[in-house]
Amino acid sequence: MAANLASKCSRVGRSLFLGLGNNLSNLLSTSHEMTHSHFLSQQQRTFIQMRTVLKVMDNSGAKKVMCIQALKGKKGARLGDTIVASVKEAMPNGKVKKEKVVYGVVVRAAMQRGRCDGSEVKFDDNAVVLVDKQGQPIGTRVFGPVPHELRKKKHVKILTLAEHIA
Amino acid sequence: MRLEKCWFCSSTVYPGHGIQFVRNDAKIFRFCRSKCHKNFKMKRNPRKVKWTKAYRRLNGKDMTQDSTFEFERKRNRPERYDRSLAENTLKAIKKIDKIRVAREERHHSKRMVGKKSKERKEAAVELEQGITMVKAPSVLAQDQSLTLPKIKVKVSQAQSEKNQPMEE
Repeated sequence: MAANLASKCSRVGRSLFLGLGNNLSNLLSTSHEMTHSHFLSQQQRTFIQMRTVLKVMDNSGAKKVMCIQALKGKKGARLGDTIVASVKEAMPNGKVKKEKVVYGVVVRAAMQRGRCDGSEVKFDDNAVVLVDKQGQPIGTRVFGPVPHELRKKKHVKILTLAEHIA
Repeated sequence: MRLEKCWFCSSTVYPGHGIQFVRNDAKIFRFCRSKCHKNFKMKRNPRKVKWTKAYRRLNGKDMTQDSTFEFERKRNRPERYDRSLAENTLKAIKKIDKIRVAREERHHSKRMVGKKSKERKEAAVELEQGITMVKAPSVLAQDQSLTLPKIKVKVSQAQSEKNQPMEE
């Protein structure tokens, strides 16, 4: 994970350096900057790994959590996987307090995931629903769309609470 | 199994193909291939991209209203299996497809009516205006016609024979 991050940083750094060089030689500096921003906007989506910040999509009280461990997979968690996270932002009087370590199921991931029929599905953002160690959701409501793959992962409770199933 | 339509090009998405993107308001965008997905990511409007069905329908390139389109419909209740019905449907598919192809052909030929004469007229106008590029004004004064004089060129047989071994 760390190596992956480091390589990404070095890539960005190199392109920044190139941009500087271009400025010095006064060659198409503006256009280079534009392509650079384009590269950032269309970034390759990756696994949910350590330090990924996810939105919490239930009424447990937490608003944002940071992934500290994926319970499955070497590279990180994907859609439907369970993660261990620490609460970074929370409502003042919720069930879950800030800086607590919680479990969560990834219900939306920006990285595409293969479906059982071979097609792929991806979402707008990375979102999580907090659960306890047994897999029962902490909150009583789930917001936003949720993939039907959760049934395979035995999270039927989240599916019944969800508004939309995609 | 349901055959969905691609959001961008409106072609059929068969099971196991393509990618689907779910927006946060639970709207599902299905794409038949990465070409359509990439065009969506570039925020292109399918009505403005010429190769999509949406553009072709909007600009009168394809048939829009036809009774053969009404057989293809989204049904939320599964049909109970009936052997004779299935047999008849399979027969009808071929027949309807034939009719549809013929009607599309007719639509295309109707659309192309007058295209050749229009092209010829435009070419004639261009020739009239640009005749100086083909014939010098002094030559044009001698011969008023817009066509070039016919010159016959004799090609000797020996030369063509010489060329053949070179090609090989």
